[in-house]
Amino acid sequence: MLRIASKHLCKGYSRVPLLSKRKTLKQLHCHQFQTGVPSVTSLATAISTKNKELREDSLVRQDVEDVYEGIREALTDTQPLLVPVAQYYFGGDGKAIRPVITLCWAKAVNYQLGKQTYRRLIQDQKRVCQVLEMIHAAGLYHDDVIDNAESRRSRPSINNVWGIKKSILAGDFVLGRSMRIIAEINNEDVSILLNTMIDHIVIGEIMQLSAGATEEERFAHYVDKTFKKTASLLAHSCQAVSVLSGADSDVQAMGFTLGRQLGMAFQLVDDILDFSATSAQLGKAAAVDLTQGLANAPVLFAAQQFPELNPMIARRFKEPGDVETAFQLILQSDGMNKTKELATEYCDDAVKQIAQLSSSPYQQFLFTITHKLLNRIK
Amino acid sequence: MVSRNGLICWKTLQSGCIRSTNPVNVTISRRLCASSQICQNNWVQAVSNAEKIVGLPTPFLSLRSEAIDEISNIAVYLKKLIGTGHPLLATAKNLVYSQDKTNQTRGLLVLLVSKAAKIDQTQDILPKQRTLGEITDLVHAAHLIHTGVINLNTPNESLEMGNKMAVLCGDFLLARSCVLLANLQNLKVVELIAQAISDFSTAEFIDIVANETDSALDRWRHQSKLRYGTLLAHACQSSLILGDNVELVEFGKYFGLEIALAWQANNEIQSYKNAKEKADHVLFKLFPPGTPFEEVISNFQAVRDTHVDAALQMLSEFPKNDASLALCNIARALKY
Repeated sequence: MLRIASKHLCKGYSRVPLLSKRKTLKQLHCHQFQTGVPSVTSLATAISTKNKELREDSLVRQDVEDVYEGIREALTDTQPLLVPVAQYYFGGDGKAIRPVITLCWAKAVNYQLGKQTYRRLIQDQKRVCQVLEMIHAAGLYHDDVIDNAESRRSRPSINNVWGIKKSILAGDFVLGRSMRIIAEINNEDVSILLNTMIDHIVIGEIMQLSAGATEEERFAHYVDKTFKKTASLLAHSCQAVSVLSGADSDVQAMGFTLGRQLGMAFQLVDDILDFSATSAQLGKAAAVDLTQGLANAPVLFAAQQFPELNPMIARRFKEPGDVETAFQLILQSDGMNKTKELATEYCDDAVKQIAQLSSSPYQQFLFTITHKLLNRIK
Repeated sequence: MVSRNGLICWKTLQSGCIRSTNPVNVTISRRLCASSQICQNNWVQAVSNAEKIVGLPTPFLSLRSEAIDEISNIAVYLKKLIGTGHPLLATAKNLVYSQDKTNQTRGLLVLLVSKAAKIDQTQDILPKQRTLGEITDLVHAAHLIHTGVINLNTPNESLEMGNKMAVLCGDFLLARSCVLLANLQNLKVVELIAQAISDFSTAEFIDIVANETDSALDRWRHQSKLRYGTLLAHACQSSLILGDNVELVEFGKYFGLEIALAWQANNEIQSYKNAKEKADHVLFKLFPPGTPFEEVISNFQAVRDTHVDAALQMLSEFPKNDASLALCNIARALKY
């Protein structure tokens, strides 16, 4: 099972334009690492102190706030009744992990190319983050309608507050505004990347309607779906900011891979938390995936140990007692450990990408982020 | 994907139009219903003739060649909706089979405008302009699907599933539009269509209630402009930009806007004539309460006609050729 995942680790995404060569994992490994930290587990020895955390945070904090300010502005110029609906998930209490990663990578690449003071460039890179967050939020509005969600981030979900129709249309509104920002960035290549991103999210959501028939198929389907639904956002954003910076195709590929691996790891950790965290910690209901009929990574790994899970997966845990039985089996199995191992592999590859950059405070921050992402508890 | 049930319902609706349902107004409504049949026939005729000039629009062409897995996934779930009465089925059916040719007329209008603008009529419509026509139909379909959801007060599994499928189908069409748009390699066009997407979603949040500055009619106009006008206006505008017909861009834009408003006004009139509960219909709310039925109809016909005339005026700026003539015929067919 891990072998299949590793195959997907190395495989570059074939439909990405602009990337010419893809380096194999072995070639990447041969580069001189300036920091000498080739794996995410060894990052644990360089644990952040409180001061270091604050310092690193301040590297991008202002820019992240600018991003959200820009989003709020873009969503204010409209019918008064629409404004609170459109802005509902932009309260600033989300994790903001995507813009932080994207901006950090952007700044690291800018630094490497000597462009860290170019104002127009940073403006455009912030716009990429705006688009990224807006598309993500629009996806959440629609997801919550589809899942009939009760709450998100410890608040009632949007469909509970405003009903289905307004939530869906608010999502469309945010999409329209994000496309306008894409046009403002005024770069054809970036436009293609970001519009591809939109396509992927939707396809990923539709992919959840089905799964593979055999074990291997299911895992491949899961990895592909997770890429499209979650990792593609980060992958394309990191590539887009690299394009804006004028980076060559190698650095663009690094950005894409970094975003992709961090995105995949993020989702895998999410899957683990779906089982291990309590509802209070998460701010939303736990074991949601099971109740939605979805078989995520821990489930798929557990099915190797407990084949009785397979028919349950096939019928999407519809029969009474399925969800509870599956939940127990997964807790008993080593599904969560195996998922953590896989997430670690992805993070290792992410670290390898980061390590190829010139040494900078941004590079260090990216290492910290990777470590924290892997070990978060909510 | 068409269910026998759906087809039967449609046929009953059509014949029900002739057979009056309200015994009190029997003579009046029968006359008006009959005339709406003629009006519809004019429209269908005008549109069919126009299709011969520019070829059939291809609203879902790209869908048929790519994304086959996704479509078959969706189709499986759509089949389960048969018999639930969810609006999505009717919408989907209308999009695929439309007896009054409305499902791809927006794309057709875009193609006609593209063709009408060409001084040299031997020049064919550009592939990018055809793609834009496709995008127009996709975005409009997404709008219809997303607005065709039901706010449920009590849980209902099949209707919930219908809502879920509506979100996914609409998103799928919007995502396809985004990809097609990006490949047009024209950021101005991306901006224009993005505005159309934002606008149709905004329309839902407007109340058609008169206030100090606007009459109810103004509010209806504003809402219809957002819902239907911006898409056609910007699509025509974009098509002329792509065709490099700089001097006609503004005329194309306003033509698109006016024809959309005229069309919507006509739809409101036809549906008001057929409505069982007149008081629930939007036209009822646009005029002072107690206004007689004929007065509402004739007043609103006047509104419709001003928009038709405005559209025709924009068309007069275009070169005289088969395509612009076809557009005039379509516009006039709305007047009855």
